Amino acid sequence: MDFELSEEQVVLREAVRDFLARRWDAAHMRRALDDPPALIPAELWKEMGSLGWIGIATAEDVGGSGSDVLTASVLAEESGRGLLPATLSSVIAAATAIDRGGDALRTSVLPALCAGDHRVVCAIEEPGGTWGPDAVTLEASAGADGWVLSGTKILVPDTEGADLCLVAARTPAALGFVTVPTDAPGVTVTPMRRLDAQSIAEVTFDGVVVPATALVGGPERAEKTLRATYDIWTVLGAADLLGVAETALEMTTAYAKERTQFGRPIGSFQAVSHRLADLLVDVEISRSLLYAACLALDEDQADASALVSAAKAFASDTAVRATEAAVHLHGGIGFTWDLDVHLYLRRARAGAASLGDPDFHRDRVARALGRDRTDQDERR
Amino acid sequence: MDLHFSPEDEEFRARLHAWLEEHAGRLEDAAGVMKGAGAANIMDAIQMARDWQRTLWEAGYVGLSWPEKYGGQDASLTEQVIVTEELAAVSTPPLINTIGLTILGPTLIRHGTEQQRERFLPKILTAEELWCQGFSEPEAGSDLAALTTRAEIDGDDFVVNGQKVWTSLAPIADWCFLLVRSDPDAPKREGISYLLCDMKTPGLTVTPLRNAAGGIHFSEMFFRDVRIPRANLVGDLHGGWQIARTTLEHERSGLSSVLALEQNLARLRRTASNIALGDGRAIDDQAISRELAQLWIEVEGLRHLGYRTLSDQIAGRPPGATASVGKLFAAQLRQRITHLALKIEGPLAPVTKKSPHVVERGRWNAAYFDALGHSIGGGTSEIQRNTIAERVLGLPRSVQD
Repeated sequence: MDFELSEEQVVLREAVRDFLARRWDAAHMRRALDDPPALIPAELWKEMGSLGWIGIATAEDVGGSGSDVLTASVLAEESGRGLLPATLSSVIAAATAIDRGGDALRTSVLPALCAGDHRVVCAIEEPGGTWGPDAVTLEASAGADGWVLSGTKILVPDTEGADLCLVAARTPAALGFVTVPTDAPGVTVTPMRRLDAQSIAEVTFDGVVVPATALVGGPERAEKTLRATYDIWTVLGAADLLGVAETALEMTTAYAKERTQFGRPIGSFQAVSHRLADLLVDVEISRSLLYAACLALDEDQADASALVSAAKAFASDTAVRATEAAVHLHGGIGFTWDLDVHLYLRRARAGAASLGDPDFHRDRVARALGRDRTDQDERR
Repeated sequence: MDLHFSPEDEEFRARLHAWLEEHAGRLEDAAGVMKGAGAANIMDAIQMARDWQRTLWEAGYVGLSWPEKYGGQDASLTEQVIVTEELAAVSTPPLINTIGLTILGPTLIRHGTEQQRERFLPKILTAEELWCQGFSEPEAGSDLAALTTRAEIDGDDFVVNGQKVWTSLAPIADWCFLLVRSDPDAPKREGISYLLCDMKTPGLTVTPLRNAAGGIHFSEMFFRDVRIPRANLVGDLHGGWQIARTTLEHERSGLSSVLALEQNLARLRRTASNIALGDGRAIDDQAISRELAQLWIEVEGLRHLGYRTLSDQIAGRPPGATASVGKLFAAQLRQRITHLALKIEGPLAPVTKKSPHVVERGRWNAAYFDALGHSIGGGTSEIQRNTIAERVLGLPRSVQD
């Protein structure tokens, strides 16, 4: 029984925090708001590859670090804290898809991906007003030379420099990821603009031909691989939001100790201190749910998806509450362009509505609880 | 990171499980008693509750973390957690001497004299002596250190005069641990002492108070020239405030509230499955199922926060201000569960116990009132927020004194 990070994970967290403090300035994100998207420079990406961070949750035989989702969440949380574009999370998730279901792709793609020489993205969401694998309608239909993909993906992150796209599709064999080279004929990438300047794009597929072997995991494991990847990506999104929330709380707490009005630090007024105390509670509950969800994924527990949804729903609400409070409690200065606070608010708002918003995840929890109930009724 | 118990711990759990099954009959009697035996047989009821605790103690499941020489088990923290979990899983009511077990016992182990430990600890475990806590006063609630109940030294005794209030179990308790003002001239936190008082001492009277829910759970206690031997002073003279602080922290820690909340929520899901709404059942309504999901998320959050606190304790970090986080969140969660229950009951929410059409014999109105007390007793939610703001976030004190 030990429900805290290991010493190695704490050391990693400090290393990442220190690295980002030296190598990445939040001001990049502010500048990118006028000139999107914000991108991680190639040499920085490469360096993170050599540190073993890109392949953190990928097996060692293909160049990864062979660690787990919990350890990957440390990277995601620090990315949120440091306002580094969340590319580590999206690529870590894509790498796990190939690692778990990729067969031949494992050895052809993963070593270069883990080293930072090669980028893969996941395209899952569609313009249907909701999120996730269940909402996928993009079809790969049987054609003369294989499967033919037609349809539109939106909110696809980090397409810049990506040479391979994992496209969630309904194929003749199964629902799953189909690998499509980004330069394949019929693929069009159109940049979208995100509230926090992170990279997103619309990707359209117009009669794109792929072989049936492009289904990641094959007919047997394709759907499981897609769902597992979405869960991993989602929990990393929760970790990112936790990093955002905790940083916003720390910034605001520091300001409340310094800023004096009516002859007292404003943090001595309970209208201020109690709001911060409530946020601390929310941050601690978020962290507890994040650990629970990561552990459940790493141990492949039956209730893992419900815990992932729990972590994402709670972290999303917490990050929005914490960053809105940060803007408010900084007063006039909190509403200025030059203070970093709005950058955290933007990331919280965008992150909360990505990979499923809180209501989406509450509905997922409700369905999981409903299934439990049906099981119990049947046993009776 | 892992949440698994060791094979030895799992073996311990299996033994306890088997023991509980064997004693299921006794358990039901005790549960019935604690849930509200009539006034006519109240003394019998109390005796049965004492007997149940003693039986559990004889089997080795009370006082897990206490030293063996005082009747404890010298067991690990994890074994203590397992006992809490298993007892909650079979819906046992809290043990009758919970106040003695969770507050005074740990305090005496840490601050009591050898003589006090030998005298009092074994009888807390067996429920031979029931304890109540005399801290709050009419003018000292959240500002507990403002207490004025006066203790003057006269020979080998303290002579105590004053009034205590909100004392749970006072009419049936055998002993009381209380805070008194022993030095009225010292700064308010430095003139307080911690005493142990026999409830049969002349001059001590108890007046039960009826609470907002209609039940009798707490009382007023009046002290008129009550003589308490100096041997019943815990810790140093005038050093009671620091001891009480550790006592309050014991009161605020623990995973047990999670288990009660989990059962409350499971029961609420059953209520929602049984109540008709439109063409279906309440639980199938999207707004309600979402709220139920959110409450499940929060119970899981609290449970895993508890595991983190437990991990810290196992690693030797004492429960400090982080216990306030759990208490604050648990009180809010308990209230939100009952709010949703009454919302689900809809037009039947105002219907009470003995009325036709009442839902589940009025359980949720009772739970609603009970939950309201949780953000007041044991330190109000505002005091928890002050503690978090000052001791976790390091913000300046909000109250000057």
